[in-house]
Amino acid sequence: MTGDQVTDDQAAEVGAELRAMLARVTGRPELAGVAAGTPLFGAGVGLDSLAGTLLLRQVQRRYGVDVAAEDLNLDSLETLGTLATFIAARI
Amino acid sequence: MIKCVVWDIDNTLLTGVYLESGADLPGADPELAGVLRELSARGILSAIASRNPPAAADYVQQLTGADFAAVECGWGSKADAIARIAAGLSLAPDAMAFVDDDMLERAEVATALPDVLVLTPEDAAEAPGWPEFSPAVITAEARRRSQLYAERRRRQAAASEFGGSRDDFLRHAGTRLTIAPAMPDDLPRLHELSVRTHQLNSAGEPVTEADLARLLASPGDSVITVRLADNFGDDGLVGAAIMTGNDGSSGPDVRVPARVLVATVPLIMMSCRALGRGALDALLAWLCRSAAADGAAELRVPCLVTERNVPMRLALAAAGLRAEAGSVAPDGRAVFARPLTGELPALPDWVTVK
Repeated sequence: MTGDQVTDDQAAEVGAELRAMLARVTGRPELAGVAAGTPLFGAGVGLDSLAGTLLLRQVQRRYGVDVAAEDLNLDSLETLGTLATFIAARI
Repeated sequence: MIKCVVWDIDNTLLTGVYLESGADLPGADPELAGVLRELSARGILSAIASRNPPAAADYVQQLTGADFAAVECGWGSKADAIARIAAGLSLAPDAMAFVDDDMLERAEVATALPDVLVLTPEDAAEAPGWPEFSPAVITAEARRRSQLYAERRRRQAAASEFGGSRDDFLRHAGTRLTIAPAMPDDLPRLHELSVRTHQLNSAGEPVTEADLARLLASPGDSVITVRLADNFGDDGLVGAAIMTGNDGSSGPDVRVPARVLVATVPLIMMSCRALGRGALDALLAWLCRSAAADGAAELRVPCLVTERNVPMRLALAAAGLRAEAGSVAPDGRAVFARPLTGELPALPDWVTVK
């Protein structure tokens, strides 16, 4: 098994937990099934600054990763998949 | 009726931060210490939900003489802590109040437990006069403040029951957001917002009424206000932005060539009352569209990059603004910018522009 594959597995695992967090902070249970490639901002999930901040707080509590401190532009929040990869690479 | 108030410790019951203070521990907030005594005299319980070690709760207990019915210390969600406290005391969520100085802690609890009365420390200092706290005499002002909170709880409860997206709920709630140039009467409130907003503030420093008046009188600058109301209540003036240099012909300091006009927004600020209600996104969409209509090719927002104003950075990112990697200046600011070409952020149909 290569390092990349481990990261993929970890990303998938993190992604599954992120979906549950996303459903909770938005109060929308259907987001528990959101595809990894769906944009979080804008038309896709419509993540707003409140739900986004609450999501990042849960991420920090769960994984100890401070996304906002490490990613000035918050590009890691483009999709659920990019956020999962960003976190998996740091745990 | 409120039967138990759950308190945060740092910068709420204490006038500072417990862990950062070393041997020189902060004192109790005298006003809130008085509230603890008053609530206890009325048979209303107090409890603690804090990020500090349990020793901090013991310390507050010694300082204030308060008897805490439950103490929850840890890094978990405060909503979970409040739910555990309520369960332990056999109280329903609508019999609970929660006091915290941190807007996001309040937002998290309000989202997870919409029936809990969520208060800032400033409001908690007055809350014993509100009807929910069964005072002997209720003043008209106390009744009005209590009603404002009742509106918020009704909105929060309706939002959590609502099935659709945030935008669907905003439409369902009859949200009306009005964007208009500031008038002289707005200046005191604008100054107050510049002092009180932190998490939703791009500049991170207060603006005096005199400076605001100067901006109002200057042809090259504009001060834009945001007012917010819906079927649950009217929150009045909740936010503002300052925009400068988008009219190359009238501003004496603007010396950029006409084809690359840059609209700069030195300040965007929004009250926590507007959080989660689309107001910041709408304001940013309007700023992009207005600057583009005035012929600007780029929108720039210099923004302080701190732990506290992450919600502001999220809104900037959602509106398509980006800073250059590693461009945070020694003063903690980075310039977030976007070209005003292609698809601009949409202005929702519940926004009125005056």
